[in-house]
Amino acid sequence: MPATPSDLIIDIHAHPGYSQSLEGLRGECQALLRAAAHHRVDTICLNSLADWTESPDPDRVREGNDAVLALVAEHPDRLLGFCYVNPCYPQQALEEIDRGLAAGMVGIKLWVACKASDARVDPIARRAAELGVPILQHAWYKAQGQLANESTPADVAALAARYPETQIVMAHLTGAGERGLADIVPYGNISVDLSGSDPEAGLTELAVRTLGPRRVLFGTDAPIRSYGASLGKVYGARLSPRDRRLVLGENAARLLGRARR
Amino acid sequence: MRIDAAAYLGAWPFRAVEGGLRGLEAMLEEEGLTGALVSPLAGLFHTDPALANDRLLRSLRGRRSLWAVPASNARLADCHLEIERLSHRRQVRGVRLAPAFHGYPAAEAADALRTAARCGLAAVIQLRVQDARGQPPGLHVSDLPLGDALALAEAVPEARVVIAGAKLAELGELSRLQARPDLWLDISHLDGLDCLARACDAIGDERLLFATCWPFFYARAARLKVEEAELSPQARARLLGGNAVRAFGLPVEVVD
Repeated sequence: MPATPSDLIIDIHAHPGYSQSLEGLRGECQALLRAAAHHRVDTICLNSLADWTESPDPDRVREGNDAVLALVAEHPDRLLGFCYVNPCYPQQALEEIDRGLAAGMVGIKLWVACKASDARVDPIARRAAELGVPILQHAWYKAQGQLANESTPADVAALAARYPETQIVMAHLTGAGERGLADIVPYGNISVDLSGSDPEAGLTELAVRTLGPRRVLFGTDAPIRSYGASLGKVYGARLSPRDRRLVLGENAARLLGRARR
Repeated sequence: MRIDAAAYLGAWPFRAVEGGLRGLEAMLEEEGLTGALVSPLAGLFHTDPALANDRLLRSLRGRRSLWAVPASNARLADCHLEIERLSHRRQVRGVRLAPAFHGYPAAEAADALRTAARCGLAAVIQLRVQDARGQPPGLHVSDLPLGDALALAEAVPEARVVIAGAKLAELGELSRLQARPDLWLDISHLDGLDCLARACDAIGDERLLFATCWPFFYARAARLKVEEAELSPQARARLLGGNAVRAFGLPVEVVD
């Protein structure tokens, strides 16, 4: 079922690209914007993963966030920035969050430098709650083994239990699977995004049924994944029109609208 | 003419999927497709896929725009006899070989490819179905390396070969295909920004086959990937159907 013109579509999870220069990222971002426009995606939430290493130092993190801020400044009507930080550098992470959000970023991104259950994430979770911004946290149950410090949904659940006032978007529904959904069900402050892996049929319906339609968000992980395949997870799913609108954009709008500026 | 080059009937053992004939026909209608090449999901898991193949053929009987691509296990001693038997059925247009599921090196399927070629059938070589990272504890099927599949194809130059389930990251290896006629790639598992444009650059639009991997994947995902791609109308038409006609030797008169 195609989107209607009134459907708000927010991609909660995209990256500017793989390039290590702003110029390169500009080119990649153009392709991202073009594909998103084709599907009438209104807003893309961009987060940098710095140099795509597992635990980048604060300088690399800052450069990545600077690139996102520059791109958002060039496309303010279509892009929002999430501030990527590495919890292994606790003080710098907090300073970077303050810097990024002061510059207009609307959320925090955590990847694979440190598990969500690690105590070093605690100050970040507290800061997110104070500022009223969500944390987008990578998580996966990998049959072939996790990265050394890669979170599972159980790690995300542990963080959510300690900080019920912090809104967490757990990335990668397909990576979480049924087991991951079961882990996070009790924690109403965790939502899941649809990004990650192939468009396996039935998972979107399972997430909506398990968590409720207000805890499921559209996300692509672009440029790793395409808008077409990612939107196929929503338009191919047996969802009511109301639930589809929530997943496509209304849930994200609600989460992003909580920021205390 | 819009043909799905990779649909399945049957159950996925680890999660409920909508794998019945009615569901398939409803999917084709919803996605604006006029035909499909259909394999039995059970054929990937059964050591001897013969019963699953017969069930598939019974299900498809009388459906003019649904063609069968039965599963074949090249490790079975009588694999060539089964392929010959299947080739006498009018609806059968190819065989699907899944070395990773049936547990043998791709090179062992060379005789099966020769038999398929002799019988006028395409040979589909399956690299993967489910992302190995997300496999349940009861299923550990490694991906078949694309290089192994290409080596197999190169060993049997007379075969019409379809590579199924390749990923965008593997496209670099596909330059080997340029010199190999009668070789196609299904798009079921290609994903990433500009994935189809990049696949066209790598091997040419005349070698790409529209494929959904339904019911394991949402069929809409494949359709939207094509809609997103900046392809010429001619390239789009080839991708959506014209290439499948050539790859599987489909009778053009029954495809609108």
